[in-house]
Amino acid sequence: MLKFNNYKIFSIPVLAIMLVSCDAGKDDTGTEYAPNMYHAVSYEPLIQITNKDAGEWVSSDDDIYGEYYSSNPNNPFEMNMREPAANTVPRSGSGMLPYRLPKDSLDLASRILENPFPASDEVIAEGKVLYSKYCQHCHGANGGGSADETAKVGVVFKGVPSYSAGRVSQVSGGHIFHVITHGKGRMGAHGSQVQPEDRWKIVRFVQTLQKQ
Amino acid sequence: MSLKKYITRLSFIALFLVGILSLSNTTAAFAQDAEIPTDEAVIANGKTLFNNNCTVCHAVHEKVVGPALINVHQRRELPWLINFISNSQKVIQSGDEYAVNLYNEYSKTVMPSFDYFSEDEIVSILAYVKQESANPPSSEPAATAADGTQSAAGAAGGIGIPSEYLTLIIVGFVIVLVLILVVLILIITVLKKFINQKEGIEAEDKEYVNQKLDVGKLVKSNGFLFFVITIFTIVVVKTVIDGLYTVGVQQGYQPTQPIAFSHELHAGQYEIECQYCHTGVMISKSANIPSANICMNCHTAIKTESKEIAKIYKAIDYNPETAEYGDNVQPIEWVRIHNLPDLAYFNHSQHVNVGGIECQTCHGPIEEMAVVKQWSTLTMGWCINCHRETNVNSKGNDYYNDLVKAHDGGELKVVDIGGLECAKCHY
Repeated sequence: MLKFNNYKIFSIPVLAIMLVSCDAGKDDTGTEYAPNMYHAVSYEPLIQITNKDAGEWVSSDDDIYGEYYSSNPNNPFEMNMREPAANTVPRSGSGMLPYRLPKDSLDLASRILENPFPASDEVIAEGKVLYSKYCQHCHGANGGGSADETAKVGVVFKGVPSYSAGRVSQVSGGHIFHVITHGKGRMGAHGSQVQPEDRWKIVRFVQTLQKQ
Repeated sequence: MSLKKYITRLSFIALFLVGILSLSNTTAAFAQDAEIPTDEAVIANGKTLFNNNCTVCHAVHEKVVGPALINVHQRRELPWLINFISNSQKVIQSGDEYAVNLYNEYSKTVMPSFDYFSEDEIVSILAYVKQESANPPSSEPAATAADGTQSAAGAAGGIGIPSEYLTLIIVGFVIVLVLILVVLILIITVLKKFINQKEGIEAEDKEYVNQKLDVGKLVKSNGFLFFVITIFTIVVVKTVIDGLYTVGVQQGYQPTQPIAFSHELHAGQYEIECQYCHTGVMISKSANIPSANICMNCHTAIKTESKEIAKIYKAIDYNPETAEYGDNVQPIEWVRIHNLPDLAYFNHSQHVNVGGIECQTCHGPIEEMAVVKQWSTLTMGWCINCHRETNVNSKGNDYYNDLVKAHDGGELKVVDIGGLECAKCHY
């Protein structure tokens, strides 16, 4: 009787060791609870599991694929996300249409574009916040470019001009908007990162830096 | 020899001499830079213009974005320099061999046109460059670099020294404790001897002094067994419960990524805001993994030699030498770290844009992580706790004015506006 009890006692640490291995670690996600409630049935963006047999052991539906298989064979590289059809116009709350002037139309953009936002304090304050997120690491908090110590990346990248010196201090709002969208010289295009409305707000703030 | 012949010869020699003289004159004029003034006022003006317009890409003594300008007046003639500075693209398109070579050597980086400069202004800039060329390069950058390495070494030492001290202190303590033990044992032996030698002590007391520790008897005693079993049970139960809590929780998951991107470097050292790359965080459900064009905003110029950056170039089929993109693009297969179960809905824009929550609240000190790991548990209890404790961000939203006032002490928590409703997250 005593011996039997001893064996029982030893089964507890074995169970404990098994449970400890459920923990997530460096390259290990750990054990999942109810895995077929965790994995999306629909095409999930930012996820791709190309192994058709993955999770077959918990599969409960009739399809030939494993429960975890998440991949769209009709897309390039079988990714779940794909680029929208060409010339798709995104809906925007502000009703602003996409900017269509191509990269080489800088002169035209400088002349004809007008900022839909007024140079009010609120717009400039919003522009300042956006500027600190999208521009500051290269152009500096005061727009000094590579010479500005707050431009941590700009100092290393080199060649970032100051907003308040030379011709850059004279360029129009449309010019700034076009350059943010398409880039110019060594500056890359930021149209994919910054929404058009946000670009115009940044323009208002940059214009205050030009006048320094 | 006839006089006529003599005169012809003389005139030939004279002509030859004149020719040589005039040639040497022109070379002398070029070497002396007769056209570049040395007037101090002009140089001062040139300095201002240079600092305001040129320094972002050029330095006199070192290569920055464009070539070092030291002795540029000796490399090219003045009219060429004026033409190139005022509109470099025009000179390159005209097919000028030197200009085209220069353009290709600097991977086709366009020098903006400075056609708004007058010729005098360009000349004054060149006058300043000429004067600076004669000055030795300032040793400032080298000095700061040396300072940088020193301070870096200092910082590393600052982290290293305390832990070394800690070990030393612990070792010291152990030595002291062992010494104390030895001294105590010595005292006991001496006292035992003393008592045994002394006469007139009762036998019972003597027995007590000379008794030996019976280990076997102690282990078999009920009290000891009870003590051991209790400790064992507590440890096992605690391990089992802790183990059960880690099932389905991926806290600490730190996968190796295909490209060794360091948030510590980008977000920490270079202070790039999260939103610069994770562009979806304010406008969509996902914060998004940045596409490679965002990497290329900086990495067209920074760290182009790095092995890790070469992986980006390969993925987007970019040739860093010609700065051209090809068609053979491959997706970069990043490993997803935060996997919320399909049964729960989470939206980044609702939390970051509407709620004004910092990224670090959930993701931890990302700016200190060289390799990102899951910081929070992402369990339901963790969500619920935050919804109970966090105030609704009612700033700039008149809808909430009276609602906030109506709640105790003017504090409107997320739970008060249905933050614990099942269907908020599960549907």
